[in-house]
Amino acid sequence: MKLSRFVRAFFADLATATGTTIVILFLGLALFGPLIAPYSPTRQNADAIRLPPSTTHVLGTDRLGRDLFSRIIYGARDILLLAGGGTILAVLSGTLIGVSVTYLGGWLEELVFRIFDGLLALPALLLALLLLGTVGPSRSGVLLVIVVVYTPIVARVVRSVVLSLKPRGFIEAARMRGERLGYILWRELLPLVAPTLAVEAALRFSYAIFLVASLGFLGVGVQPPSPDWGLMVLEARNEFALAPWSLYAPAAAIALLVIGVNLMAEGVRRAIREDVTR
Amino acid sequence: MSLSEEQQHVLQVARAEVLSGRMSRRAFLRLGLALGLSAGATALVACGGTSTPAPTATAPIAAGSGPTGRLRVASEIPVQLDPAFASSDAEILILNHVYDYLVDIDATNAVVPRLAREWTISEDGLRYRLVLAPGVTFHDGSPLTAADVVWTFNRLRDPALQLPTADLYANIADIAADGDNAVVFTLAEANPFFLYDLSDNHALVLRAESENPATAFNGTGPFRVVEYRTENRIELAANTTYFQAGKPAVANLEIIFFADQAAAVDALRGGQVDLVLRMPTPLFQTLQQESGIVTVQTPTNGFDLVRLRADREPGNKPEVIRALKLATDREAIFRQVKAGLGAIGRDSPIGPLFSAYYSEETPLPPRDPAAARELLARAGYANGLQLDLHVPDSGDRPDLAVVLKEQWAEAGINVNVIVEPESVYYGDNGWLEVDLGITGWGSRPVPQFYLDVMLVSGAIWNESRFSDPEFDALAATARTTLDEAERVRAYREIQRILIERGPIIIPYFFAQLSAHRAGLRGYVAKAFPGRTDLATIAV
Repeated sequence: MKLSRFVRAFFADLATATGTTIVILFLGLALFGPLIAPYSPTRQNADAIRLPPSTTHVLGTDRLGRDLFSRIIYGARDILLLAGGGTILAVLSGTLIGVSVTYLGGWLEELVFRIFDGLLALPALLLALLLLGTVGPSRSGVLLVIVVVYTPIVARVVRSVVLSLKPRGFIEAARMRGERLGYILWRELLPLVAPTLAVEAALRFSYAIFLVASLGFLGVGVQPPSPDWGLMVLEARNEFALAPWSLYAPAAAIALLVIGVNLMAEGVRRAIREDVTR
Repeated sequence: MSLSEEQQHVLQVARAEVLSGRMSRRAFLRLGLALGLSAGATALVACGGTSTPAPTATAPIAAGSGPTGRLRVASEIPVQLDPAFASSDAEILILNHVYDYLVDIDATNAVVPRLAREWTISEDGLRYRLVLAPGVTFHDGSPLTAADVVWTFNRLRDPALQLPTADLYANIADIAADGDNAVVFTLAEANPFFLYDLSDNHALVLRAESENPATAFNGTGPFRVVEYRTENRIELAANTTYFQAGKPAVANLEIIFFADQAAAVDALRGGQVDLVLRMPTPLFQTLQQESGIVTVQTPTNGFDLVRLRADREPGNKPEVIRALKLATDREAIFRQVKAGLGAIGRDSPIGPLFSAYYSEETPLPPRDPAAARELLARAGYANGLQLDLHVPDSGDRPDLAVVLKEQWAEAGINVNVIVEPESVYYGDNGWLEVDLGITGWGSRPVPQFYLDVMLVSGAIWNESRFSDPEFDALAATARTTLDEAERVRAYREIQRILIERGPIIIPYFFAQLSAHRAGLRGYVAKAFPGRTDLATIAV
């Protein structure tokens, strides 16, 4: 696949371009947050409680007098690091396990995928709550949850591709040539799994954002006073009538980022398909 | 509530049993409920004998008109309904209307007659004779006699039954009927707070030999149970032969259960309930702006306790304790966390509502993060102090933790906030073990309770492990003396000690926040909402 062709196909679509712009915008916020944010995300001001949006506080302040715009900016860093980092780790481990175990087959494949099936039988959120209940709520706990919840899903997707490739001639040929296992896995199989993987990774990323926000909202994820968007929605819930902006700001941020990532994922999928059919 | 040496011994034994794993958490919690720990769960009603009345309500109800109308009250979900185990607001609210206490505590914190219409106390303070009101009958028609009272209290204090009240009543030497309508309690040791103990949340009078108190609902109270739908609602109808004239005012009482306080408040706004007895601060502020709804705030003696364990590093260094106090801005906390509802605290559980006992003699040093930092350096923490702050997720406590984190950071005290579900925070005695924690303590009518279970050396819930001989001696004096002036002096000294060196910070006292629809008459708010008298309310 030619990268330039892929990029052209990717940006040809308005929706994809919009989604990508949104994601890049949030990435920018995450990277340059401290330069953009007017205040510290945890700085309180007892004299500026629940102020509506104004020029000094663009998105208003919350019940402790913290600047919501600054909290949203720092929250972007939190959620992108957690959801992004968790997704990368899950995709890596899912691919590693999916490609190698499926290729090797036998009882190992049987064992690993039955365990994964067991994990998949549980709803993602329930599994997450069980895990966090065991390891305790923390950033690393949330990261672990994303990896454990999404590794089986990625591995399953990878497996379906590998299963269709395994009986093909070129794999047979490689084996006949006496190639080492590593070569077959990474040089022969992985490049063909990659397109599917890219779509899957983008999708997982949007689900991971949602999962991080959900865990924050349930109070078992990142702990206060972290500017976690889900946690901010939880904290603003009881005072919706007093300061609706404190609920709207994090809720809109979550929605916008998820929409952006989904549009982007859709773009990846379409670009790859067009690339393949061409 | 006061605890005799004997009672304290029992508590200490219980604590040892729990710590060594011989006593189950459940049994311990039951014991706990007897002493009224969990966030107001078993607390009684407002403030000290000398306090201000709750500034509520409304015209008295004309007697003789007979009960009319239906009152719908929102409540949390009760777990079980045997009075001996009742602990939550929801449970006590229901039982308080099906059964009666011997004596009650009114909103001004005075002991008032209920089933006992009068009482005499012997000179030495050991013998209490209570005379029952005439003509009281149970809902099944049988008359109330002294034997029922004797049976009820013998059950509550029977060590073999392991009821939560066994320790509370361990000081009772004997209970005897004096004819059909009088009961005599003889104490082993004088206890100036015994009438308050008689009005403990669990001490509802049952019919003698009741076999299944959790489901029979055969009380003498102002309402009869018509239908109890678990986790949904309970329907009650007026007891037309109730012994107190003019009560109840309504013909039907419906207590509707809500798992979520926001939902209960929405039901009030939508007209599905008439009264919500308890809610968090922001919901209360929301309702304040609403027309057609009356909001009621009642000051209480309940408080959030920030405490550091004093029996090991770093809390065993007096400089650290003083540094924490100096780094705290109670006034800002009160505004940010409580929106100015309630009262600012002074690091002692003897709050302003205990007016004669409360003292502002000892000044609270003004906030000074720089001085706090110096103290820390002197204690060997020149590079600052790192601590985990454990906090239950209920009420406004997570906000308190976050505000403290910010304030203390200026003094070089870096706190990692860990918010836990209440069941986790209190489960397996975690709250007694952690170094730094925030615990909610419910409102009590007398301050002695807090000292005896929370602050004297070796007390069962001495979460901070505070141990101070001077404090212990003063607490013992206040517990047993029959001389009120001496007690006042002891309480003042106690407040000085706690401000100077107690490993605790009490930043505020709660207000009890409730709301009802306009047009409701006769509602008097109480510090412990479960003890609200719904029989006086007319719709």
